[in-house]
Amino acid sequence: MSPWITGLGTIAALELRQRVRSVAWLVLLIVVFVIVGIVTLLLWFALAQFSDEGADNAAIYSSIIFFVLLVGTLVTPAISGGAINAERDAGTLATTQVTLVSAPQIVIGKFLAAWTIALTFLAAALPFVILAVVVGGVPFLTLVSSLGVLVIELGIVAAIGVGLSGLQTRALFSVVTTYLVVAALSIGTLIAFGLGGLANQSEATNTYIPADYSSGDIDPTTGYPENPDEIECLEPQVSTYSVPRFDRVWAFLAANPYVVLADASPTTFDRNGNPEDLFGGIGLGIRAAQVPPELESVYDECENLRSGFQEGDGDYQTPEEIYNSTVPSWFVGLIIHVVLAALALWGGIARTRTPARILPKGSRIA
Amino acid sequence: MNQAPAIAVESVARSFGPVHAVRDVSFEAHAGSVTALIGPNGSGKTTLLLMLASLLVPDHGTIRIGGHDPVADPRAVRRVMGWMPDVLGSWATLTVRQTLETTARLYEIDAAQARIRAAELIDLVGLDELADQPTRVLSRGQKQRLSLARALVHRPSVLLLDEPASGLDPAARIDLRVLVRRLANEGAAILVSSHVLAELDEMADDAVYLDHGVTASRASVEASRATVRDWRIRALDAAALTTALTELAIPTSGADHLGTLIPVAGEADAAALLTRLTAHGVQISAYGPAVGDLEHTFLDLAKGGRS
Repeated sequence: MSPWITGLGTIAALELRQRVRSVAWLVLLIVVFVIVGIVTLLLWFALAQFSDEGADNAAIYSSIIFFVLLVGTLVTPAISGGAINAERDAGTLATTQVTLVSAPQIVIGKFLAAWTIALTFLAAALPFVILAVVVGGVPFLTLVSSLGVLVIELGIVAAIGVGLSGLQTRALFSVVTTYLVVAALSIGTLIAFGLGGLANQSEATNTYIPADYSSGDIDPTTGYPENPDEIECLEPQVSTYSVPRFDRVWAFLAANPYVVLADASPTTFDRNGNPEDLFGGIGLGIRAAQVPPELESVYDECENLRSGFQEGDGDYQTPEEIYNSTVPSWFVGLIIHVVLAALALWGGIARTRTPARILPKGSRIA
Repeated sequence: MNQAPAIAVESVARSFGPVHAVRDVSFEAHAGSVTALIGPNGSGKTTLLLMLASLLVPDHGTIRIGGHDPVADPRAVRRVMGWMPDVLGSWATLTVRQTLETTARLYEIDAAQARIRAAELIDLVGLDELADQPTRVLSRGQKQRLSLARALVHRPSVLLLDEPASGLDPAARIDLRVLVRRLANEGAAILVSSHVLAELDEMADDAVYLDHGVTASRASVEASRATVRDWRIRALDAAALTTALTELAIPTSGADHLGTLIPVAGEADAAALLTRLTAHGVQISAYGPAVGDLEHTFLDLAKGGRS
């Protein structure tokens, strides 16, 4: 093994040794296990009310995974957010910096340790995830993709926490900032999407060409004109109104970790083209937001009457058709997250590099 | 001393915003010798040591540790340099042994060698009984010894010790002094900062005086050394001594519970005085400078700086 990797491993092992022996970690682990257990139980009974066959295992599974993501993103900032500045305070960072390990090794090693600890919380929730899978109804691909995204998302939060703890002087501030980043991604993106779409409205026009019903005789049994050629058209009526442009701001939503998780899972559709689980429903929502609204719509009642509604309403798309006609957004979101995490780590490394030129205000590096 | 100095510092300065911690520092320290870094609190000792330890970039000037530049090639410096900080941090949940093994691993020493080295160092600093205790149970003095052991893990040829004796009991201080002397005799260049001057007096070969971030020049140090200072004389019969001093017309500058103080300029004068007193029949039981060399110089320089 190269000395670089060995040094990285030593740092990660050192970090793990210090964290894993703490009582706080064990307590949190038990809390996560108990809470996920309770939520699973509640979901089980709650969702059973809606279906008589208990066919909603997919819904239980996706709800549990969402809950695990919630818990994971709430716990990870606490364990990663003080990784560097707390050591700086305790005076143990400088004694590490004077050894042969470099700043990237220190920061990345701490990140790997924080990620590993975050994954132990996922492991604490795993019994319930497995339960949902065993009971059935979860496609293998959904299992792989959702767990994969979960693992990556926890890594991203861990990286942001460790990076910010290198950038900020006080451990308390970097933990809070990490929480704010998580909140911005989880809730802020929803707000930005909603407000962005509303603020960004377009003028849409609708042209309505009515038929003159007095110009021909209507067959009272069919409701169609007896002689379509005799139907006369009236003046077109043009109305304008504004529509929110969610298609311009859908990328906000794409950066939401819950959306990433949902959209990454392959969705199955029922006979009517409706998604079958929670992941599919959310995935469909973000996909539908990509479709630009029709700005020039024409409703030609006159022509419809003349043709006897033969080629009307061809515009309707089933959810499945919408889903298939749009681009998947999960990797856009994931790329945004990875870039954020990489930036945080890079910043943390730059601040941890020695010999240092600039010191954070009020901090001593010894 | 014809070889290149182990530590060479040339007009180094470093400020933190408006605070000029180190203004102009130049000195050399050589292999096989102990150099004392002396200065009052806030004189820039720790900042200077941070720059020497490759943690801080100087604003001006050059530093060479074992011939390497800590800014351009920190790795080469870190390979040969051991640093004991004034802040006593330790990985609280690790044991003494694990701490030293981990530190050795961070110096790219393989696991088997790291284990051997950790055992050696535990023995060297006398932490045998606490070797498998977590470091959080250590007392201040024990942490101090652990910190010294950590600085020695990779057998550095340049050793930077920041206040190594603070918090040590008298016996541990003597152990430290013996150890530092031994390391110097084995060829290490050692720079020790402290404001306990009596202690440095006993182990340092050379001294660097730092005040307000500036090192005193060699000339002013020489001048301070040669200024008049008090020697303390104790005789078996105090009254006889007083009579003799009056008869010989030697002025005194006072007396304390240990003896009579007499201002003397330099060692030659001191020897002459002793001869005259014994010739006069005074039975002298103790004779020596009232304050240590370093303290005298330090106080004299500080006085000069202020006037």
